[in-house]
Amino acid sequence: MTSLYLIITPIISLAIVLSIMPLLRKGAIKLNLTDKPTNRKKHSGNIPLVGGIAIWFATIATVLVSNPAWASLMEIRFLLAAASILLVIGIIDDKADLRASLKLTIQIALAYYAFINGIRIESLYGVFGIFELPIILQYGFTLVIITGVVNAFNLMDGIDGLAAGLALVSFIAFGFMAFLTGQIMFLYLFLALIGALIGFMRFNFSKKNKVFMGDAGSLFIGFIMVVSAISMIQAAQSTPDFKLILSVVVGVLALPVLDSLRVYRRRAKNGYSPFRADRTHFHHLVIQLGMKPRNATLLIVGISGALITLSITVGTYTSFTLMLLILMITFITLSWFLSLNNKVIYWKDKVLDMEKKLTV
Amino acid sequence: MKKKSIAIIGTVGVPASYGGFETLAEHLVDHLGDRYSLHVYCSGKKYKQEERKKTYKNAKLHYIPLEANGVQSIPYDTWSILHALFYADVLLILGVSGAWLLPFIKLFTKKKIIISIDGIEWKRNKWSMFAKWYLFWAEGLAVKYSHIDISDNEAIQDYTAQRYATLSRIIEYGADHTIPSTGTANTTEFPFMAHPYAFKVCRIEPENNVHVVLKAFSEMPNYRLVMVGNWNNSEYGRNLKETYAAFSNISILDPIYDQKKLDMLRSNAVLYIHGHSAGGTNPSLVEAMYLGLPIVTFGVSYNRVTTEHSALYFTTDEDLKKIIQNSRLSEIKALGTKMGSIAKRRYTWKLIANKYDELIREALQVKTKYSVQANSGKISYDELLSMGLSHLKHSEGFYSKR
Repeated sequence: MTSLYLIITPIISLAIVLSIMPLLRKGAIKLNLTDKPTNRKKHSGNIPLVGGIAIWFATIATVLVSNPAWASLMEIRFLLAAASILLVIGIIDDKADLRASLKLTIQIALAYYAFINGIRIESLYGVFGIFELPIILQYGFTLVIITGVVNAFNLMDGIDGLAAGLALVSFIAFGFMAFLTGQIMFLYLFLALIGALIGFMRFNFSKKNKVFMGDAGSLFIGFIMVVSAISMIQAAQSTPDFKLILSVVVGVLALPVLDSLRVYRRRAKNGYSPFRADRTHFHHLVIQLGMKPRNATLLIVGISGALITLSITVGTYTSFTLMLLILMITFITLSWFLSLNNKVIYWKDKVLDMEKKLTV
Repeated sequence: MKKKSIAIIGTVGVPASYGGFETLAEHLVDHLGDRYSLHVYCSGKKYKQEERKKTYKNAKLHYIPLEANGVQSIPYDTWSILHALFYADVLLILGVSGAWLLPFIKLFTKKKIIISIDGIEWKRNKWSMFAKWYLFWAEGLAVKYSHIDISDNEAIQDYTAQRYATLSRIIEYGADHTIPSTGTANTTEFPFMAHPYAFKVCRIEPENNVHVVLKAFSEMPNYRLVMVGNWNNSEYGRNLKETYAAFSNISILDPIYDQKKLDMLRSNAVLYIHGHSAGGTNPSLVEAMYLGLPIVTFGVSYNRVTTEHSALYFTTDEDLKKIIQNSRLSEIKALGTKMGSIAKRRYTWKLIANKYDELIREALQVKTKYSVQANSGKISYDELLSMGLSHLKHSEGFYSKR
């Protein structure tokens, strides 16, 4: 019985996304909920920003209809509620561009809401030899990490299929972990998300019927990702699978988090606000290797998969500190090469200009 | 006083039978051999056991069993540099392949480093992406961690000033090893020599604009072009050879290794066409100038500077056609004389060797590298602003050409 549910859950959410998306597209075009091309946003035509709504609707509906363990739905009620609020904020932002400070305030408030519902980072699990944290630090860390990850994931939504692809890999990995530790409610939530994301990608990659997930989608997905991750770590704390779960979570979050830190640091160093939009994210650098966006997406999702594997390998056999260190070194090396390539291209153009200057 | 030891690193070796750096090394040995104790590193792969010598003219030779070019140039230069640390006062490094070592050399030794960064090598199409990355990075280290860096062209100096805010020194190449041979034309082997012809010799690469030149001449049946190159080395070359072999006014010749024959063909040409678009001062261009040939060259900054803006310049096949169809013979002849006089003034090995001598003497005295960054740049922007001098924060405008 259970295995039947495991199979039909993603199929239901996939079917829902595929059937409602055409309607949502039409509605979006009517309501002008679309993304227009700018100097920084390199797509052609107005693209409906309804992917997030479709993913949200399919996920919630599927969890409600295909849930074999109704009782545990209550355990994640607050998570779905908070993520749905974030979706609404995202829709408003997609339509009318909210102030960054307002968005941040709401995110912090929702992180606080998760915190009082028991979602806490209670320990550093041995990093720098630190374990259990005093409550005030638990509070601070939890808020910073939830808002940090939500924004980091939001920034990954830069090329077709990237945010969805990364989320897909993450939820597949999380799904296994939830299965392993018997977290049935999370398992069905992840399965529903997996189906919805696959359905979304079908439209996201389409030329004719393209949609974007918008801030609505990336905020919703990012929030579920980080809160369920913390919750799974908490639940696994005294089980033999703990090291594995921790490694998977860190591996999944590594790429978006490290890249957002890199970008913030770079902007601050150059004297700009860390939140100033530009084209220096990991995916921009990968595209500068001369790749088509779709191949860049595949490569980055592959890199994320490799980071998860690396994190599991190092994390299960050695210490948590060493794992973090190795992930960071790997990421820094990768992005060093990518920005070297970026500089080569910058100077190549500049030199070409200089060569031509005396031409006429 | 004991002579200072200079290690010349990064060439295939001497006696020279290869490219620009080798010819340079040869002439440095000729001209500076009595002033310094010179050591030249040679590739054991290019000199057979029986050809090897302990000394050549006044220089000591060291053979490294690696190729001097391609990816092996990295270990080749590295090995040479490490070996030279045992005795040399100045390391004269030609090319940036071994530059990854320089930060360590600068930190742990008192050796003086002079490095010639060549053209903008990392930009050239012939390199793979990874080679470009390495060369780009290595060039940065070469400029930052040398005592003096040398560009072979004013336009390259502009580039290093902008990228590194340092003052690169310009030393070009000599050409007076070429021998004009206006002797009788060999019309039995080269029947086209009975008539006036334009001449071009180069590697058959897109960067040398071979296709542009061929297209222009294919549309001017009354003007003859003779072109020498390694046509069979690449798809690009084979395609061009196939397309243009049918034109009766275009003679496509395979590489000529007999220098005298090549000089004879060059010297008898009415016009020399130079299509190089990449990297710095091209030795083949200064050689053609030294032969007093009228030059029509691709209009990039390097070639313009080399010819002192007084040659004829093209960037498209249409330009080239216009130049050739509209130039009178008397003008062309005057242009040849002008090119010859520039070359005799600027591109002689004695002059070039003396410039290297000056730099070596300077390197022995300097502690740090000259910067073109004004000291005002070190003051904080706010302070400068309060003094009404905020324009001094970025001095790029003072050394880059507008």
